[in-house]
Amino acid sequence: MTSYIDQFPEEARLVKAAMVSAFLALAVGATFGLLQVLHRTGMVRVLSSADYYTALTAHGVLLALTFTIFFLVALFTWGITTSLDRNLPSMRFAWGWYGTMVVGALMAVVAIFAGFLTEPPTLLGEELSASVLFTFYAPLQAHPLFYLGLAIFVIGTWIAGYDWFRTYWAWKRDNPDERTPLPAFMALTTMLFWWLSSAGVAIAIVVFLLPWSLGIVDSVNPLLTRTLFWFFGHAVVYFWLMPAYMLWYILLPKLSGGKLFSDPLARVVFVLFLLLSTPTGIHHQYMDPGIAEGFKFIVMVNTMFLLLPSLLTAFTVVASMEHGARQRGGTGKLRWLGKLPWRDPVFTGMALSGLLFAAAGFSGMINAGMNINYLVHNTFWIVGHFHLTVGTAVALTFMAGSYWFIPQVTGKPLWNRTAGLVQVLLWFLGMVFMSNAMHRAGLLGVPRRTAEPQYENFAFEGAIGSVGELDAQVVLGGTLLAISTIIFLVTIVMTMLGDRGEVPDNSYAGTLSGPEHSPAILDNLKLWTAIALVLIVLAYSLPLAAIVQRGGLFGPGIDGITRVLPPIDTIGGLVEWVVGR
Amino acid sequence: MSQPTDPPGTPPDSAIERELTHDEFDPIGTAVLITLYFLILVGMWLFTYFVEFLGNGPTVVGVIG
Ligand code: HEM
Ligand SMILES: [Cu+2]
Repeated sequence: MTSYIDQFPEEARLVKAAMVSAFLALAVGATFGLLQVLHRTGMVRVLSSADYYTALTAHGVLLALTFTIFFLVALFTWGITTSLDRNLPSMRFAWGWYGTMVVGALMAVVAIFAGFLTEPPTLLGEELSASVLFTFYAPLQAHPLFYLGLAIFVIGTWIAGYDWFRTYWAWKRDNPDERTPLPAFMALTTMLFWWLSSAGVAIAIVVFLLPWSLGIVDSVNPLLTRTLFWFFGHAVVYFWLMPAYMLWYILLPKLSGGKLFSDPLARVVFVLFLLLSTPTGIHHQYMDPGIAEGFKFIVMVNTMFLLLPSLLTAFTVVASMEHGARQRGGTGKLRWLGKLPWRDPVFTGMALSGLLFAAAGFSGMINAGMNINYLVHNTFWIVGHFHLTVGTAVALTFMAGSYWFIPQVTGKPLWNRTAGLVQVLLWFLGMVFMSNAMHRAGLLGVPRRTAEPQYENFAFEGAIGSVGELDAQVVLGGTLLAISTIIFLVTIVMTMLGDRGEVPDNSYAGTLSGPEHSPAILDNLKLWTAIALVLIVLAYSLPLAAIVQRGGLFGPGIDGITRVLPPIDTIGGLVEWVVGR
Repeated sequence: MSQPTDPPGTPPDSAIERELTHDEFDPIGTAVLITLYFLILVGMWLFTYFVEFLGNGPTVVGVIG
């Protein structure tokens, strides 16, 4: 028996800790999800409508940032060590980046939760609160603790990335002629675009929002900080998605009894994401005045190109599953589907995630079109869309994957296969109800991010069905999702409390067509990073320059930075003095 | 199907009846599924066009009554 814990006992503890952190975030975040559904539809109102935004901030930050990214660092640590067959250089260092992430996340979460108190404590001369939603756009302002926490969390992920890279460099020195194994390749390309894109949000936080919330500068240029947020904000969706893709590429074929159809194609997909994840962010700002239509058009073209790697993924992953099904005696054009291991929750959860992701492909194409986006912008449609993507393709894949990973990192068999199967089915079903109704409500014009979407003298008219029917579906879906979350958490806890026993081997899918069939240039990460940089400069330099020129770095005029100027003067004087000598 | 006694996530090696190499494998089922997907996409586009553009006035979202 060689499970991960037998091969890498130290790393297994870290992976387990990161996964448990992710699950804690999921538990709290999903609770708010249910509260939101009940509140918006007016079924049950536990919170006041003013506190709704505090809850929504917690939901967004805990699920979209904390849950996803903790799971990602766990998965990538597993992928790097397993595929390179090599330990991390130093466990103390690794616990260091994990600890950094935990501290950062806790700081942000404390700031958010203080917003629920009637008399929040004061820190640094300001009341603690951060009801700014997970996009933290100015002019909404949070307590400095929130921004600082987010920054520290992101820095933790940067150090983690460095840790994986140095593990890879050490491996490369020992194996100069070997191709990079696929899981490692996936983790490294993902980290490269993460560094590039999160630099944008880091600048937004450290240079603008944090000084502003500390009172060092009086104002910011809201469009500039928004644009810097979306510089990171589209890439972050791929940061969530790449670990799910990794699992689809390397686990689904194996579980189906087959091999990955094409390793080179998988590499091409990840290279395309490295190139195109960042220079697409402005597609979230189609409706922002202050950015010229021409720039938006360029970004739309980039976005449409970005459909390509996802279509390639659909083909490669489905073909790999078909390969497995046919090896197990599957026949016919579609009858082979019956030969897939549908009773295995790991497989079924991931396959259903993929199915809903395909549905999200449709609403995504609507969102991506510059003109048709006007129809759905900031409506409930968008919420329906991303609960299919991050809320299912990512979250359900992670949950299903956990039924494989928790046994790997504990050596304990899954507590109950049926519970797992029921859980993934309930999530699928709940999301079909909730997300479909959200899409339809959005088309009627029902807004997102609203505690009370009904106003006096204003009624949303449905073409088919009624708002009451849509509300009922949202509540039904949300309730099924909440039940599914509980079953998931119980299954994980019971597994961890169980005894050690027989668990699957730590291995991933082989390939029908291996890396030897692809040109070596695919593995040239320096080249792809350089091209990615060029694309970013092309997409962003002119819009950013225009935004700064019109609105100033710190808002119109230079007034906002009066308090920054004296220190800059001092530094300038110092430089002059040094150069003068 | 994998055996009900296998731990979840076990590759169903026992159930493999034949090995298919790269050249023997023809992913026709995948082609069928992807064609179906494209047809659904096109259908939904048309539906969106008729319901949303021809069915509504030029207002972007909602109708204030
Ligand atoms: C228990 C299942 C869930 C339910 C019932 C639920 C429900 C909701 C609802 C009703 C909203 C919209 C509120 C509004 O716009 O007024 C929302 C927003 C959101 N949800 Fe969920 N959700 C669930 C799970 C998830 C998961 C798993 C993720 C991601 C991993 C997620 C990510 C988000 C994000 C990012 C937002 C946007 C927050 C914002 O507008 O600032 N949700 N959720
Ligand atoms: Cu985007």
